[in-house]
Amino acid sequence: MKQIALYGKGGIGKSTTSANLSAALAEKGLDILQIGCDPKRDSTRMLMQGRFIPTVMDYVRAEGDADVRLEDIMFTGYKGVRCVEAGGPEPGVGCAGRGIIATFQILERLGALKGDIIVYDVLGDVVCGGFAMPMREGYAQEVYLVTSGELMSLYAANNICKAIKRLSLRAKNRCRLAGVICNSKNLEKEEELVLEFSRRINSRLIHFIPRDRTVQLAELHKKTVIEYAPGSPQAEVYRSLAGIVATNEQFTIPNPLDTDDLESLAFEYI
Amino acid sequence: MILNPLPLSTSRTGGCTLTGALAVTTGIKDSVTIIHGPPGCAHHNFSLLHATILDNDCMVIPSVISSGMSEHDVIFGGEEALMKVIIEAASGDPGIIFVLSTCITETIGDDVLAVTQNAGVPVCLVPTGGFLGGDFEMGFCRALIAVSNLAYPVIRSREYNPESSGSVNLIGEKNLEYEVHENFVEIKRLVSLLDLTINLRFAHDITRSDIDRLPFASVNILREPALSAVGSHLQDAFSTPFVNSFPLGISGTISFIRDVATLSGSKPEKALGIEKKYQKEVLEEFSDLRGSRVKLKIPAGGPEYPLVKEIFHAIGILESHDGTVLPVPYPFPVGTGGMKRMLHLWRRALACRAV
Repeated sequence: MKQIALYGKGGIGKSTTSANLSAALAEKGLDILQIGCDPKRDSTRMLMQGRFIPTVMDYVRAEGDADVRLEDIMFTGYKGVRCVEAGGPEPGVGCAGRGIIATFQILERLGALKGDIIVYDVLGDVVCGGFAMPMREGYAQEVYLVTSGELMSLYAANNICKAIKRLSLRAKNRCRLAGVICNSKNLEKEEELVLEFSRRINSRLIHFIPRDRTVQLAELHKKTVIEYAPGSPQAEVYRSLAGIVATNEQFTIPNPLDTDDLESLAFEYI
Repeated sequence: MILNPLPLSTSRTGGCTLTGALAVTTGIKDSVTIIHGPPGCAHHNFSLLHATILDNDCMVIPSVISSGMSEHDVIFGGEEALMKVIIEAASGDPGIIFVLSTCITETIGDDVLAVTQNAGVPVCLVPTGGFLGGDFEMGFCRALIAVSNLAYPVIRSREYNPESSGSVNLIGEKNLEYEVHENFVEIKRLVSLLDLTINLRFAHDITRSDIDRLPFASVNILREPALSAVGSHLQDAFSTPFVNSFPLGISGTISFIRDVATLSGSKPEKALGIEKKYQKEVLEEFSDLRGSRVKLKIPAGGPEYPLVKEIFHAIGILESHDGTVLPVPYPFPVGTGGMKRMLHLWRRALACRAV
């Protein structure tokens, strides 16, 4: 079983990428579990025909966690992809990070963490230990950074490299950086910049996803691109990404850049 | 960020902010103290209180309850759990409800103040998240200040007239230390020499309504200098001047009488005459210790050292590296009465050595 996590800045397209990746992997006949690890709970929506599924924390809030069953929190979407949303407290109260930890414990207890590939779609800013949970021992060993060529997006990706590097120092941790996915914002020299960024952090650009209107159209129809426009070039892009992810075995310990280096890198590709 | 200095040692005055605040709030006997946090925070502190209270021969166990936070409350916020327990506490119609926060509620950012303000019953909040760098002392001071604020409305009332007082308040008696009662008796004796009475023990064995008497005193007597912030706060709030410590040592007791006299506008001569005579009698009573060779195990730079040396000098006790080790109680005994108890202790220590 492969366990992969997608991290990146908020709004960069992690959920779109994750959902299309899961859909493309499922098309290959693989058993996929996608877990949205963000209180805003919209990771799996396109796999569920636009439905916001009840989250693990919704259930726990209402019923407690003693009697929770798998069917209360796990839902089957496009091509059999099993979908889970961690959810979290209302904005502005409690501790969302602890909610992620509790979700993982429940999923583990219920034996949900199985299949061919588990895709963790995680909040971009690793604001506390809870959001690093998917990178801990026993969970995702392969982290993909989703970024565009925008500086703030690269900055967030670089920060996640710091977390991976720190975790990799622990004796039993096997979490590694598996590559960078460039989700294009249609910027000048964007692919070159992200390619160079990937190289400097000791990783590689595994796929460039061009900006395409099909993505927006698919979302408006509450579907993944794979489902909405299976014959489109964009669907092919996600299939190609899925092929690489499914077979990728090149994992590294990243070497995060300091802020000055990151900024001067961005300058080189204006 | 809150940048309180972390305590440098795990000494008696260091430790848990919560415990410090509890040492105050549990001194108000018709109150209920809610500890907003996991049950363990309440249990641990309550065990300590229980043991100390029994040790001081008091059988009335204070009301301390926990909001019993679980992981569920940590994730979704503990405000509801707190409100529930406030309502539960209010149903017993206590004089006042105190709410003390804990490390975990401060970490997840529960808006404890808002909950207490919306409770619909009088609730007094003392923030006591210890990880923010506070210690026992800080919890103790914060609680005294928070509780003192309950007396604010009194100074706006028509009856308020502190001029006619002729009494003192004791501020911050350490309810968790030994000899609380003995120390109280000693202060009562000393101020009575100046024809002053005790107005309020703040906060020891009092009720919510007693707190309203806080502004009615000529002088506040703090238990120890670490409470100076409380003394200043009360001075600002109620214009009551303060002496910053219970009296310690021979000359310390004399200057204490002088300070209280000055601040209360009393004449000290008669009181000083009586106390000096009494001190002389006590020292005379222990003249058999003259010439004893003793050794101290307290730090030479510490505040107790000159106090002990003063007594050695007055009696004629000699320090020697091969002398008998003399116990010096902590906290240091209060007034001439405390000195007398310590001299009994020394006499026993020297007698043991002689045998």
